[in-house]
Amino acid sequence: MSILKISDFSLELTTGSQACLLDAVSLSVEEGETVGLVGESGSGKSLTARAALGLLPGRTRISGSVVLDGTDVFSAGPSQVLALRRSTASMVFQDPRSGINPMRSIGDYLTESLILCNKWSKADASQRALELLRSVGLPRPEAHLAQFPHELSGGMLQRVMIAGALSTSPRLLICDEPTTSLDVTTQAEIIGVLTEQQAQHGMGMLFITHDLNLASALCDRIYVLNAGTVVEHGGVQEVFTNPQSAYTQQLVAATPSVFTRTVSVINPTRSAAALRPAPEPESARPAVMLEARSLSKTYYVKGNPPLVAVNNVTLAVPRGDALAVVGESGSGKSTLARMIVGLEQADAGDILVAGVSRAAHSRTRAERLDRARTVQIVFQDPYLSLDPRIIAGAAVEDALRLHNKLSHAQSRSQVLALFDQVGLGEKHANARPRTLSGGQRQRVAIARALAVGPEVLVLDEATSALDVSVQAQVLEVVQEIRRKRGLTLLFISHDLAVVRKVCETTMVMRRGDIVEHGQTKNLLENPQHPYTQLLLDSIPRPEWELDQPEVPLAPNTSSAQIIGA
Amino acid sequence: MRALAAPPSVVKSLRLPRASGLFLTSLIVAAIMVVSAIAAPILAPYNPNIVDLANVLSGPTSAHWLGTDALGRDTLSRMMFGARSSLLGPLLVVVLSTAIGILLGLIAAWRGGWLDALLARIFDLLFAFPALLLAILAVALFGKGLAAPVIAMSIAYAPFVARLVRSLVVTERTRPYVAAYRVQGFSGGWIALRRVLPNVMPTVGAQSTLNFGYVLADLAALSFIGLGVQAPTADWGAMINESRGALMSGQILPAMAPTIAVVLVVIAINIIGEEFSDRLGGQIPL
Amino acid sequence: MNIFKLVARKLGTLLVTVFAASLLVFFSRALVPGDPVAFLLRGRKPSPEAIAEVTKQFGLDKPMWQQYIDWLGNLFHGDLGRSLQFRQDVTTVLADRLPVTLGLVVLAGVLIAILGLAAGIIAALNRGRTADRAILIAMTGLGAIPSFVGAIVLIAVFAVQLGWFPSYGSGDGFADGIFHLILPSIALALTFVALVARVTRSSMLDQLEREHVEVATSRGLPRSRVVLRHVLRNATGPILTVSGVLVAGLLVASSIVEQAFGLAGIGSLLVQSVDRLDFPVVQAIVLLIVIIFVLVNTIVDLLAPLIDPRVAAGAAAR
Repeated sequence: MSILKISDFSLELTTGSQACLLDAVSLSVEEGETVGLVGESGSGKSLTARAALGLLPGRTRISGSVVLDGTDVFSAGPSQVLALRRSTASMVFQDPRSGINPMRSIGDYLTESLILCNKWSKADASQRALELLRSVGLPRPEAHLAQFPHELSGGMLQRVMIAGALSTSPRLLICDEPTTSLDVTTQAEIIGVLTEQQAQHGMGMLFITHDLNLASALCDRIYVLNAGTVVEHGGVQEVFTNPQSAYTQQLVAATPSVFTRTVSVINPTRSAAALRPAPEPESARPAVMLEARSLSKTYYVKGNPPLVAVNNVTLAVPRGDALAVVGESGSGKSTLARMIVGLEQADAGDILVAGVSRAAHSRTRAERLDRARTVQIVFQDPYLSLDPRIIAGAAVEDALRLHNKLSHAQSRSQVLALFDQVGLGEKHANARPRTLSGGQRQRVAIARALAVGPEVLVLDEATSALDVSVQAQVLEVVQEIRRKRGLTLLFISHDLAVVRKVCETTMVMRRGDIVEHGQTKNLLENPQHPYTQLLLDSIPRPEWELDQPEVPLAPNTSSAQIIGA
Repeated sequence: MRALAAPPSVVKSLRLPRASGLFLTSLIVAAIMVVSAIAAPILAPYNPNIVDLANVLSGPTSAHWLGTDALGRDTLSRMMFGARSSLLGPLLVVVLSTAIGILLGLIAAWRGGWLDALLARIFDLLFAFPALLLAILAVALFGKGLAAPVIAMSIAYAPFVARLVRSLVVTERTRPYVAAYRVQGFSGGWIALRRVLPNVMPTVGAQSTLNFGYVLADLAALSFIGLGVQAPTADWGAMINESRGALMSGQILPAMAPTIAVVLVVIAINIIGEEFSDRLGGQIPL
Repeated sequence: MNIFKLVARKLGTLLVTVFAASLLVFFSRALVPGDPVAFLLRGRKPSPEAIAEVTKQFGLDKPMWQQYIDWLGNLFHGDLGRSLQFRQDVTTVLADRLPVTLGLVVLAGVLIAILGLAAGIIAALNRGRTADRAILIAMTGLGAIPSFVGAIVLIAVFAVQLGWFPSYGSGDGFADGIFHLILPSIALALTFVALVARVTRSSMLDQLEREHVEVATSRGLPRSRVVLRHVLRNATGPILTVSGVLVAGLLVASSIVEQAFGLAGIGSLLVQSVDRLDFPVVQAIVLLIVIIFVLVNTIVDLLAPLIDPRVAAGAAAR
């Protein structure tokens, strides 16, 4: 018997737009099996997962059934639902920082349902909490019990949440994007913990993710959800290598991979080299366009030790090239980007754009404008990078008219031309940012950066907040523009797979230092530095793509060592 | 099914469309008050200060719709003239405090550093003096009337506006769109005044609208305890005070009419201000 | 260790604020143009004896800063100067009036705490339903009733029309005193009930939407436990903060209510002293209210880290 069986489950809002959020979703999870539920944002995957525990938003109409361990969750009485939540299934949420009450201790979190719901004694519950913390690989269980969430890192806190979910020995574990807010090495550790615990307890696992690579590495079967409908399901290799529905095909094609695909997918990604601007005559061949010499930046925050964000970084990007700066959070990659565009001042070192030093703060208007014309930036957050009050076209026009004496008609036509280049039209130019989608906003941000006519464009995680299919489109736009304009690109990212698609050279940063630097292809295929190797090993990849079986996916032993270190 | 209802964190936009009838009514009430204040000399049936001792506490009649007070003065006319001082005082306070608050808040947020810290200290000190207390102290120093309390309350309310402006601008200036303006070469002053300030103004406006209600109540209270507008000038607070004798003898209309006016205006202003702040996504802290 | 540092710093801030407030209150007199003797003797006969007495009493022949230091020194000995209208020590006058005001404020405080919290909690837990709407509408109405309006309406209805309660005076003895305080304390509480109810409601709604509440629900905790342990507990901070601010509002508004009901408390003394140009008493009461306000808010600040461990961590880091 399936531990979870969802049949023809539909859910629609009864207020406002009457939107149908889920349409006849059916899926099942057997004991001991890992089932992936894959979809982009708004596909309804989180709603489906929550429904399994009877967690539904108010003011909705539902039909179909959700049967958890033989009990229909929707027709069960409140006490039965509580019993199911207490002993049959538990859930690990995406962001432990907001999922664990910040005002209560870790010990309280781990023991509260044992003491309050299962009537354990305090001592027994604490004993169990210690065991759980140990089993998820936390270094100092006794100390952690008395700590508060803000004293732990995101990765550690996610382990706490997993421990909490395991406290009542559930038979089904629902994981809702449990690693999305974590760095890739931490993700690998958490996935290691989850698979280990699942194997030990023989639980069924429903794993919700937007990351096809992760699902393929982890799951036995997957369901692909699009706009509230299951468009495809089956064995993971089958779905991944031979997708049937158009949506899945598109999703697979858009999902970047660091590793050479062994299977052919539709619309194969063009290699970065092919996109390089056509070779110019030898005489015009590249001077170095962007150069940083021994850049350093340290932050001093009262009460904390000085934080060296960027330590003695030297780099050079030839005209028309693309350099990727890759690193996890806290690596200093964004600080580097902000120094290059002049948003932060370097403590030491020099920045040269087209041979001119730009390290000093621009004092006069002429200096400011001059600097602006050399380098522009696109930021990560599509929701905050546009002025909410200004229509998209006007934002671009502002930048145009600051730098050029233009009549209204001239600037208007230039705005439309720029919008055309990023794949947008006049109606987008007249729209307010809030009515645009994330991908459209990032295109506007790119158009705004181009309006100034820069020689270097910095993309600071510019596509990482987007769904994969949208990300693929925006990257396409970037490539197109790069080819046409001969732009020099500095591409800041945490995602090696994306970097492989875009950049010829790659630099890996860790805690402010450059640990490795080289041709992207060489660096990915033959990493020299242990940290680069760790990064690559941490990237989830399907079993059938593992060329070298001796490279395990985040062995639990090594993750424990890392935390202990 | 109710037992299964989860907190609405999955679907956030499940808000009922607000009935805006209340909002419209409030706008109409406010408009009526403003019009009768401005056009009092034309609209009022009597001179508000003409004493008619033959016709005191008349109760509602066809000649005096809201009756007369203990000196035989027409209550309706006094209400209309009273709207002038009752509304003008709060208006002055709101305009002054908003102007000062925006200036100081913007400076604190944009300049930062020691200036920000110093202003924060000064605001903290001023917060320890409730507005009405500062107004009473001002009367003690400079004598009764509206002038001293209006200035005192402007000073008392300015830090509230300044603190709000500061926090909004500080949030706003860390947003990438502001960074984008900088990278494009716009000057700091242009960004602050032309882009960031207009973005925070709606929220500041909503807060100032709410402040208008509080100030109106405070100034009316001041006149009620006899420290504000002085007889024989018509003012709602002062009228309530003057009619207390009649109230005790069971004649409630001369006291109730201005009382209801005060409550109506404050409710209307609160609803208008809250509607604004709701439409802005509830950014106002209190 | 960190806790000691935190307490020490808060107390430091308290002293600095009180010191600055005393400067402000004392030197406010200097804002008035003209002769200080004339200012202090406004409305009284400027006989040579009176002038000599005032000059001596306030040390007007000394420089202003010397007067301030003397005044401050006297404050520490409990000497707040002499009232011009009563010809008594200000301390004595205040002590006579203090019980009524204390009773009024405490009674109103209890009403505010019970009604405000209850209304806010009920509204939040029934979000969007009839109970919530009814409470919201009621609170919008209550919030628009300034204390003097409340006083007038209560007098009109319960004292004059129904005759259930007295409308004037402080009463004799304890029980009668409390009886005389019932209407005034209701009048005083009305606006603040609305304020506390709104803050409670919005603070709880904020918490109810948090993911940790959903997590707690997903773990099979009964609704009552989720509300108590995760919603109410976490919502306490803003409620406490607003309570601190509210104390000053209560003290000032009590002057209006005392005036309306003819109660002989500190508030009506303040109004009376302004009216009778008795500046030393005004000065003393203003400073007293400010000190109480700062004291209460320091206590609130010190309680904050007990509620939210992040506050303690943040304070220690600074």
